[in-house]
Amino acid sequence: MGEVIKVNHLQKKFKSEYALQDVSFEIEKGEIFGFLGPSGSGKTTTIKILTGQLSPTNGDVKVFKQDISFLKSPEARQRLGILSDNSGLYDRLTIEENLDLYRKIYNLKENSVKKSLEFVNLYSDRKKHINKLSKGMRQRVLLARTILHQPDLLFLDEPTSALDPVNKFHIYEGLRRLNAEGTTVFLTTHDMAEADTLCNRIAFLNNGKICAIGTPKELKKQYADDTLTVELKNGQQETISKGATDANKMFDWMQKNLVERVSTNEPSLGEIFVQVTGRKLV
Amino acid sequence: MNLSMKRMQAILVKDYKEFSRNLAVSSTILVPLVIALFYSRMGIDTIQVHFMAINMTFSLVATYIQCCLIAEEKEKNTLRNLMLSPATIPEILIGKSMLTFIITILILTGSILLTGYNPGNTLIMIIAFLLSSIFYITIGTLLGLIAKTVMESSVIVMPVFFLFSIGPFASAFVEKYPVLKVIEWLPSTQLINLAESLENNFKVGDLVQPFGLISLWIIIVMILTVIVYNKRMKDDI
Ligand SMILES: Nc1ncnc2c1ncn2[C@@H]1O[C@H](COP(=O)(O)OP(=O)(O)O)[C@@H](O)[C@H]1O
Ligand SMILES: [Mg+2]
Repeated sequence: MGEVIKVNHLQKKFKSEYALQDVSFEIEKGEIFGFLGPSGSGKTTTIKILTGQLSPTNGDVKVFKQDISFLKSPEARQRLGILSDNSGLYDRLTIEENLDLYRKIYNLKENSVKKSLEFVNLYSDRKKHINKLSKGMRQRVLLARTILHQPDLLFLDEPTSALDPVNKFHIYEGLRRLNAEGTTVFLTTHDMAEADTLCNRIAFLNNGKICAIGTPKELKKQYADDTLTVELKNGQQETISKGATDANKMFDWMQKNLVERVSTNEPSLGEIFVQVTGRKLV
Repeated sequence: MNLSMKRMQAILVKDYKEFSRNLAVSSTILVPLVIALFYSRMGIDTIQVHFMAINMTFSLVATYIQCCLIAEEKEKNTLRNLMLSPATIPEILIGKSMLTFIITILILTGSILLTGYNPGNTLIMIIAFLLSSIFYITIGTLLGLIAKTVMESSVIVMPVFFLFSIGPFASAFVEKYPVLKVIEWLPSTQLINLAESLENNFKVGDLVQPFGLISLWIIIVMILTVIVYNKRMKDDI
């Protein structure tokens, strides 16, 4: 219904090798969608196709319910925000001057620069020259420039890979706020914890194929084993089945008032990834 | 075509700030002026000498500076961001040419004042200079899109410098080496031919060949530039 992106059996071939073998998914308006996979799995290629920088070899791609030729139009560009893995800045200009160029290109009000810089916590640094900034600060300037025009759909290609935990946290907060104001986010990462805290829905990509897709909760449930861990007051730890077979054990412990803590054995997203692909995520 | 002046102006202002803070490139604008000053001191007043300084301005200012401006945007991955913005191809390419155009006109005026060149027909020569500026800037854009780095720009501009600025002077050897006949067709040679015919009683027919050829060169280079630009947009850089 309110889908912003719809991809059906997408394939992309570079020379003789397929970077994307069979990719299908939909993203609804208002989602933060995480695209997870090790490097070389096809994340950047997917973003490039979804933003009109590469043409697909096969398959059907719709963005804003339109064919991808629409992506090249100024109307589409006005609605998209793209932070690619190699975006650049003008080194000899200040942070503010860099954003000011794009403010004029997008035809925005003057206060948009301030708003955007406050968003990434850089407003007080606005007079600093880009060539004096740390990698993390540059990354935040790039993000500020990408969201300057409050895009309807935001593509972020590994946006936090150069950031320390504190800055990551700031960016997460900001992205949630932006998302609450109506921006749909498509994010690639190989950071499982990031996907877990930030994304409503996740797709695992491996060798150009989606091998699992769902909310973090669904995925964990789907791949959870059927056991519970019970910690007893005497310090003992027992793993029992959720089913009827171990019901008596549990009953017994509870009757003797021995139970300290019960927890489900949910796998982390990283563990699920290894389980699904037989491959570690690095 | 719907061109946004605001966007092109924004690129111009940005380019000016970057250019003025980059002495390595911005100092090259002095070279043609120094050469013009040198010739004016020698007190030679021939078309050939005047055009030495003028063609130097075209290759060192129009082509070289434009090539550096474009190559730097490519090297730093900022061109792609412009391409992905709502700015259209003409807005980006014209916006990116405006600073070089203004500087070229200023330096050209400066060199002409210094050498004391007084054209046979000022209005016609101004039009020819404006057209030539467009030609050399477009060549600069094309080379900038081909060059991978700013360093490479200085190398890639050399053939243009020799062909277009020094080339016309080789026409003296045409008798001996018939290959050099092609030099006749260069826009720089055509500019000198035009200037020479303006010195005497000229007919309107004399204008057709130089203006026709210079315009043809502009069209060819512009088409090549748009092709290379679109390729760059597609290519994974
Ligand atoms: N322009 C290209 N030409 C040839 N192969 C490419 C090109 N771009 C990407 N690839 C290949 O496609 C695969 C997926 O790359 P990419 O989408 O960049 O992965 P990721 O972003 O997940 O690290 C890789 O094997 C990569 O080598
Ligand atoms: Mg990538």
